[in-house]
Amino acid sequence: MSSKITPFFLWRHLNKLRWAVLILVFSMLVLLPFLHLYQSYAAAHAYDLLEPGQKQLYDAMEWLTSPFIDDPKQDLDAIKGTTWSGTFWGLQVSDPLALAGQVSATLSVYWPFMLAGLIPILLTVFFGRFFCGWICPATFLYELNSILSLWLQRLGIKSGRRRFDRRLKYLVLLVGLILSAISGAVLVSIIYPPAIIGREIYFAITMGGFGAGLTFFVITLLFDLLISRRGFCRYLCPGGALYSLLGRYRLVRIKRIVENCNDCAKCNAVCEFALNPLRDNFGQECNNCTACISVCPTDALSFVIRPHDDPDQGPGHLSKQYKQRQSGK
Amino acid sequence: MSDRRYFLKELIAGALASTVLKSPLAEAAFTAQTSLRYLRPPGALAEKEFLSHCIRCGQCGEICPNRCISFFNLENGVDALNTPYIIPREQACILCMKCGQVCPTGAIKPLERTAEDILGNVKMGKAQVNKNLCLSWQGKTCGVCYRACPLADVAIRVGLLERPFVLDGCVGCGLCERSCIQIPQAIKITPQHNIENMS
Repeated sequence: MSSKITPFFLWRHLNKLRWAVLILVFSMLVLLPFLHLYQSYAAAHAYDLLEPGQKQLYDAMEWLTSPFIDDPKQDLDAIKGTTWSGTFWGLQVSDPLALAGQVSATLSVYWPFMLAGLIPILLTVFFGRFFCGWICPATFLYELNSILSLWLQRLGIKSGRRRFDRRLKYLVLLVGLILSAISGAVLVSIIYPPAIIGREIYFAITMGGFGAGLTFFVITLLFDLLISRRGFCRYLCPGGALYSLLGRYRLVRIKRIVENCNDCAKCNAVCEFALNPLRDNFGQECNNCTACISVCPTDALSFVIRPHDDPDQGPGHLSKQYKQRQSGK
Repeated sequence: MSDRRYFLKELIAGALASTVLKSPLAEAAFTAQTSLRYLRPPGALAEKEFLSHCIRCGQCGEICPNRCISFFNLENGVDALNTPYIIPREQACILCMKCGQVCPTGAIKPLERTAEDILGNVKMGKAQVNKNLCLSWQGKTCGVCYRACPLADVAIRVGLLERPFVLDGCVGCGLCERSCIQIPQAIKITPQHNIENMS
């Protein structure tokens, strides 16, 4: 028997890194509105006129940022925006769905904006639907929602496990773009959770209240909780659909090492997108979230650089089924 | 049996969808128009083009040092949801032009903070003086609007007893309306999209 192939030991810790990134992105979305308030107070030169709460905010933000910047009015303009569209030191980065939405709404192409989508598109071609697993602030809340559903299950409240056709979201994307074209407004942005969350956090902090988008987002949370686990991302999200299409021939993939696999199916149970790692079926939907790698007890999942999945490799070589088949021969 | 049930389900779903889509609520959602007198940020495209270019990222509001940019909820229709607007009486635009520089979509044109760029490209609206309310026109010398104007003598000039006259250079930033000491204000900005609708 050949020596055991073990994947690089850090891969199984990537899931922790992913959670760290999700928390970082989400906390940045919360921090940026506060920094904006601080900037506006600083620009008004009105520290003495602030209310006590505002003064506390001013002091906290000054303490937080003063090691890095000289002039809050100018220097804090470096990072603005959300994951839907943001500016980092003058570099504008936008969600590919925003590009598609604008093109369909205007029926023309505004090139500077298309350049803003270049980096995310290139990364998606390389890493697949990684945005959905690693950055999306809605994913953070949806995964917490999944954990909540597990807790509820422990208390005896059954959460929804219905499954629909995964291709439904491509239809949502298509209909969204067509409606954008008809109405002449970027309507996809109002049903796209990461865009909604970025805006709603900003509204809640600086405008003193959530907007209409929150209602939609809460409905998607309830849909995930009561009807279909992680259902919005799996079956309805237009952005996820676009990322899936772009990442169809992604180079970085997860693959199963059939020699190490014992068919325990933990990977399938943990997969948020209801894919089938156990039978090598990742497809264009996999977002490289690495949850399956971290849960695998026998180190049977690893990364590979290849533009297509393996065909089904059959039962894992450590499984009963495989051993019986071998001895039967 | 199952076929018939499926058919019935489809029928009910279809009926529900059509009633929802054709309901007055849905109609109102798309044709709603706010009675607010709002301005778009400085350098914004014409209203229709603006709606199709804006991706509702909110960066214009996030960079505005004067916090004058707010965002629509559903009161102005679904197509204007989360688009930026300015109510000049509450907080007027100081023409810093940062929103245009941060806007990734071209919905707000990227402009420099120079008189040339501002006078040539910013069309938020036009100020109008109500002579019955204006203190100066009623004989009590005031002139606050003139002093608040960032484009004094280009956008507004004052005559005898500080009576204001709005000139062609007015870009509609709203600082005069914001500063007017009369209640209700004697000088108001007519938004550009309203001017276009009238003509």
